[in-house]
Amino acid sequence: MLTVQDLHAGYGASEVLHGVDLEVGQGQLVALIGANGAGKTTTLRAVSGLVRPSRGKVLLEGREVQGLEASRVARLGLAHAPEGRRIFPTLSVEDNLLLGAYGRLPILLGYKGRAVASLQRVYDLFPRLGERRRQDGGTLSGGEQQMLAIGRALMADPKIMLLDEPSMGLAPVIIQEVFATIRRLKASGITLLLVEQFAKSALEVADHAYVMERGRVVAQGSPEELKKQERVIEAYLG
Amino acid sequence: MPSVVVAQMVVSGALMGLVYALIAYGFQLTFASSRSINFGQGELVMVSAFVSLTLTLHGVPYWAMIPCGMLFGALMGLVIERTGVRLALEQKSEGWILMTIILGLFFFSGAENLWGRDDRPFPTPIPSDPIHILGVDVTPLELSVGVGVLAIMGLIETFKRRTLLGKALEAVSTDRDAAELMGISARKSIMLSYALSGAVAALAGILVSPITTVGPTMASALILKAFSVAVVAGLDSGFGVVLVGMFLGATESLASFYLGSGWREAPGLILLILALAVRPTGIFGKAVIRKV
Repeated sequence: MLTVQDLHAGYGASEVLHGVDLEVGQGQLVALIGANGAGKTTTLRAVSGLVRPSRGKVLLEGREVQGLEASRVARLGLAHAPEGRRIFPTLSVEDNLLLGAYGRLPILLGYKGRAVASLQRVYDLFPRLGERRRQDGGTLSGGEQQMLAIGRALMADPKIMLLDEPSMGLAPVIIQEVFATIRRLKASGITLLLVEQFAKSALEVADHAYVMERGRVVAQGSPEELKKQERVIEAYLG
Repeated sequence: MPSVVVAQMVVSGALMGLVYALIAYGFQLTFASSRSINFGQGELVMVSAFVSLTLTLHGVPYWAMIPCGMLFGALMGLVIERTGVRLALEQKSEGWILMTIILGLFFFSGAENLWGRDDRPFPTPIPSDPIHILGVDVTPLELSVGVGVLAIMGLIETFKRRTLLGKALEAVSTDRDAAELMGISARKSIMLSYALSGAVAALAGILVSPITTVGPTMASALILKAFSVAVVAGLDSGFGVVLVGMFLGATESLASFYLGSGWREAPGLILLILALAVRPTGIFGKAVIRKV
């Protein structure tokens, strides 16, 4: 589904990624773990087109997408729920969700009618979003905003979803809820690439994981394999 | 009796002030999507007015000329975005300030060469015989300015609130990257906002020209006041520019009546200086101060 080959990227003159390779298969949940500043978020940003890679390839269903504008990549079926959630605070919950489906809805009028089924699916998954559909996105709690960010990504009916630090800044109870949601998404067959600081929780849900350090992948394997590797244990699972 | 005169001045001035509001609204449109504005907007108003005048003189009926003039303004808006703004924004520089000023100068000399330096009358089928409303004389021509400005602003605001494209514009203005991730092209949104801004500028020119005449120098008089309105009202409140525009128009006409027509420009400048002194950190003020 998604293949990343020898990806180099950075901001200005400083290179952050020094050749990242990874692969996400259809229906898989792949986790990307590593310390702060390892390049996990930059990897996702380079994949979705927010950062232009200086070298390397990103293949979405075999098609090269590196260097395309992020909006083009999104329309090809990649939904990226970014770090910090980045919902639109001045728009209502429902408008946030509708914009998630922007690429496949009529842009002038009649868009609501066409989105009823997708909206209902998201509201079934996150009933609280349904209750607050008319509220501004900015009035939601952190956990609800994360639900909104995931729901918004789901609205696109994506082939693959990138989820960046969904647990960031949330209370432990809410984090459990987020991971329960990720499990449900996985069960529904969605292909997911998950970036997480909480390596333990990430490895519990993942099919396969990559460990990043200083802009490179330093270890990979199934969660069982990784849990046996000493340096992974030391560094991230303690 | 004086109170009638005052009311008369206030009403005429406020209607005129709506033109400043409309030009300021054009600034808001592009500022929302791209944090940039066209400093040559006044010249765009003027050139569009000249093109509309030429159409009229070639026999195009008034009501058909309006959409044609607005289309021309929209096209020029796109030209300005492409030639003066896009590259600067991609390089995160503020070069667009100088570029749009230069494009404005091009428009100015182009107009002087094509149409001459003289002010010319702008024919209109809308009568200018005053009608009596609530003790005040208003000409249908003045009323047409008010109706035109409020109609186009209402139309664009409705478009922004009701259509998915309009919500997408707002999304781009609040968080460009997040909007891109939704499949919304920031570049296209910026193009659309410049086209809308150009169309609005053209309409401002078409509405005001029958009252003020058309000439290459009409830009400078209009733009200064539109700037004042935009600075005072802020760059994100459509309602704000309407209020401030009408207020400025009214004070202006009172000043020129009581103090003499030489003082006509004073209220706009005083308002501008006051706004910058009291609210120097205004979004708009920041962009200018940083560059100058």
